[in-house]
Amino acid sequence: MLLMLEDEHKEHLAFLTSVGLDVVQEFCKISLGFIKKGSNPKMYQAAASKLGVDAETVMHGVEGLMYLFTESSKLMVNEIDFQDSIMTLGFPEDLKGLLLQQYLENRKEIRCILSEMSMDLPQYHNLEWRFDVKLASRSLKHQIDPTILLKLHIADSGERHTQVLQTDPSNLVHMTNVLDKALQEMKSQHCRRIVRNI
Amino acid sequence: MELSTEVTDGLQLSGDSAHIPDSVFGALVESVCDDLLNRENGGELQIADKFGSVDKASLKEAYAALMTFSLECAKNNADSSNISSVLEDCKFTTERIKTFTNIFLEKKSHIQALLGSVSHNPPHIVDVDWRLDYYIKNNHVDKVNQPTYLITLKTEECGQQDTKDVQFACTMEQLQDLVGKLKDATKSLEKASQM
Amino acid sequence: MEEVDNIIIHSLRSIGCSIDESVESLHQFNTEVIVEAAVKCLRVISGLTELPTSLPPGMSARFRLGTTLAQALTDLGYRGEIGYQTFLYSNEADIRRVFMFLVDKLPRESGEAVEETLGASLLLQRAISAELARRLSGPWSPPYCKTNNLVLRGKPAGLVREGCSASHRFLARAVTMPTGCGDLSKKIPKEIKAYYSKDLPLVSHQPLHKHELAPSLLEKNAQEVTSQQEWEFEWNQQGLASRLTQQEYKARKKQRLQKRIADQLRQGVQRGEAAASGTADLMQLVNSMSDKGAATSKTKGSRFTHTEKLQFAQDAEKAAAQIGVEGPKAETEEELQKKREDEVQQLRDELGGLTSKLENLELDMKKFNANMQQMEEQIGLEKRKNKEKEEAYKVKKRTLDLLPDAENNIVKLQSVVDSSAQRLVNLASQWEKHRAPLIQQYREVKELNENRVSEAQKKLEEIRVLREKMKEVADETRAKDDLCKQLMSEYERMTKDVNRSAYTKRIMEIVGNIKRQKEDIEKVLIDTRSIQKEINQLTGKLDRTFTVTDEVIFRDAKKDEGVRKAYKYLAALNENCNLLIKTVEETGGILREIRDLEDQLENESHKKTTANLEKIQSDFNEMKKENSTLIAKLKGK
Repeated sequence: MLLMLEDEHKEHLAFLTSVGLDVVQEFCKISLGFIKKGSNPKMYQAAASKLGVDAETVMHGVEGLMYLFTESSKLMVNEIDFQDSIMTLGFPEDLKGLLLQQYLENRKEIRCILSEMSMDLPQYHNLEWRFDVKLASRSLKHQIDPTILLKLHIADSGERHTQVLQTDPSNLVHMTNVLDKALQEMKSQHCRRIVRNI
Repeated sequence: MELSTEVTDGLQLSGDSAHIPDSVFGALVESVCDDLLNRENGGELQIADKFGSVDKASLKEAYAALMTFSLECAKNNADSSNISSVLEDCKFTTERIKTFTNIFLEKKSHIQALLGSVSHNPPHIVDVDWRLDYYIKNNHVDKVNQPTYLITLKTEECGQQDTKDVQFACTMEQLQDLVGKLKDATKSLEKASQM
Repeated sequence: MEEVDNIIIHSLRSIGCSIDESVESLHQFNTEVIVEAAVKCLRVISGLTELPTSLPPGMSARFRLGTTLAQALTDLGYRGEIGYQTFLYSNEADIRRVFMFLVDKLPRESGEAVEETLGASLLLQRAISAELARRLSGPWSPPYCKTNNLVLRGKPAGLVREGCSASHRFLARAVTMPTGCGDLSKKIPKEIKAYYSKDLPLVSHQPLHKHELAPSLLEKNAQEVTSQQEWEFEWNQQGLASRLTQQEYKARKKQRLQKRIADQLRQGVQRGEAAASGTADLMQLVNSMSDKGAATSKTKGSRFTHTEKLQFAQDAEKAAAQIGVEGPKAETEEELQKKREDEVQQLRDELGGLTSKLENLELDMKKFNANMQQMEEQIGLEKRKNKEKEEAYKVKKRTLDLLPDAENNIVKLQSVVDSSAQRLVNLASQWEKHRAPLIQQYREVKELNENRVSEAQKKLEEIRVLREKMKEVADETRAKDDLCKQLMSEYERMTKDVNRSAYTKRIMEIVGNIKRQKEDIEKVLIDTRSIQKEINQLTGKLDRTFTVTDEVIFRDAKKDEGVRKAYKYLAALNENCNLLIKTVEETGGILREIRDLEDQLENESHKKTTANLEKIQSDFNEMKKENSTLIAKLKGK
């Protein structure tokens, strides 16, 4: 899949052709740092004075790179497609190589950061269980009532909370069977076909 | 099993045919057991129709004593020999003992189930639902492409008729972990049952 | 041997051998049964499974089976002589020995189960595992198919609770049940009776929710039981010692408590009054302040709010123009208030003055009263004095009267004095006479009383001891009952198979046999000993007689020729007789030998030798035939 770059974006990135390769490398480092840790506008000023251009151009360059990396990571653009996509920018070979290398090196991390931002459901985290037998209570002296206590740990957007539940042997067996069946379902013909085709 | 004098007096009264005639005794015991087990109150009907000729105060005392006695028997898991020894002390005739024992032992397991339900527990899982989704993309990431299970545990809480849901999502690996742990528990239960 | 056979056959049946019901001794076993039983035993003992349980048709295969069995047995440690012939050409004694060995080697499952100590924890563990198995049996059912979370599971079906929508906390309410309707000795008031029969609802209708019924009743019973125990304890500890009846004791306790409560209350009231005087000051202060500020205070709040309400009503009806009027109106209202307050204060002061006057007057009255009493007492005192003086005066007057005729009168008086002294002595002796028995009686009664008291104390002690003992005995009875029940259940659980009884029977029989045999042997020994003694005696006698005769005849033989002859005959006779005796002894030895041989013969005949021989012959023939057919086949190829 090719990346469709906006004209404005292209304009912003065109600035990179005018500086040296080591500067671009520096830019890449800065932009990746910003993706990971958030932007720091002071850097623009320092870089601009060093390069002798105005800060806005530097900002555009860095942001352009950030956008390029995140967009291509989001879409999981492969190596060839990435090269083809930046072809339209008219970069020299060594610059393209550098960008590609940076992209491939950092794609996984960027995707991680992106997926952290996405919507999430309460997620299973852990389960502890314990087997108890109730032998007597205030209202019934002789009884044998086996119960299974379950402590369910659930992670909900970074926070963990636990829930104590109980069940009886029959329901435990049922639950195990049902969930096991659910697990087997993933290996069924239908599911495999869908996974393969998407 | 310990009974207060109030109850033993009541039992003596109900064993005395001068107060509770033989014809009524069986019906009285039955209505005691039934009233214990019925979730809803039955009203004062029995007093009015079945036991018309009996003195109502005595009837009420006998009723209360028999009910307490039945509960204590169920609580202590008394068998027919225990029951008859207590009732003999309360001057019951053998036939009345037999009547009581027959009716009571038939309902004993139900009464014990009722007593067993007097407790407070964490939510009790009674069923489980699941749904398998294939997570394709979201607004931040494309091509996520992983199966996700949505699990709903249906739980019952004490004294509440409706079931409540405990919901969570999990990936294949997490579900495998969960099922593995549950299987572990099931296996250990089965092992314990074959000892 | 029957018992041994019984045991063997029972054990063999228990490991699954198909032995006919009619078979009662090993004597009836044929080759097939023997082989099957031996193979099954070996399977159970060492888990050999490759051996066939039925006899193979081919002779050589049979032979092989026999040798393998023999080998397996020797491997297990069988010490007797054994070979294929033991199984194929059986005799009863060998077979018995073999099976006794095998049965002894059988693993003792049942025996171990009995030996296990059936402790409480083990029983509990078993009960738990049984319950778990019951719960795991049967299919799952959805929650909406269960009434009150209950499902029938297991065999025999029992109720099982799954889910908790029907469970509730233990929540008890106070319930009332009628009491004393059956007890004619206790009278219940008519009103209570009427309440019981008309208005009191059944206990099952008294709690608000049905699920509170069972806890409420259980709780009530427990409460009653506890309070009764408490009372019993107290009664035993203190009540009995106080030597009152229960009612009296209770009444006294009640009185004591009431008194204590009253004391407390009185103290509380006093403290409260002291505090109230302080608060009264405070109240006054507050009142005065509220008067000035026209603020709401508790005492006048209602009036003030009332006026306020009125004002609001007026506000609603009339326009804002009224506001001007409102001010003065409120003022007059306040003035009125003030006036009233003043008036009240005045009246209050007046009242205070009056009450203080009254109090003063009362005090005076009290004082006067006291004075009056004092006066009265004085009057009484004076009166008494007066009376005494009058008495004295009377005596003096009489003596004055008597003075003129002094001599005479003195004598008369003397005699009177004498006679009265006499009378006094008389009276004293009489009194003494009466007094002695009375004192005696008094002492006796006193002693008796003391005795009774100590006896009562003793009895009380005894009663307490008895009560304690009663409790102990009751506890013991309960414990024994429990133990009895446990033992009963254990006994019922124990396997009551033939095995045990057969073994014990057999052991008893053996013991009896041995005893009998011992007796027999002793008898025979005594017989033998006595016979031996007799024989010895006889030989001794014979020897002596012979020597004597020999001597006599020898002495005579020197002189007489005839006697010499006789002597020669005697020697021959002696020799011959000796020979005879030896022969008899030899005959005895031979007879014994014959008997031994006969026994042996019998034994041999028991071994079915001839039948076995025939069988061997036929088997041999069959084998020959098999061999020839095999040779023929070989040749045919």
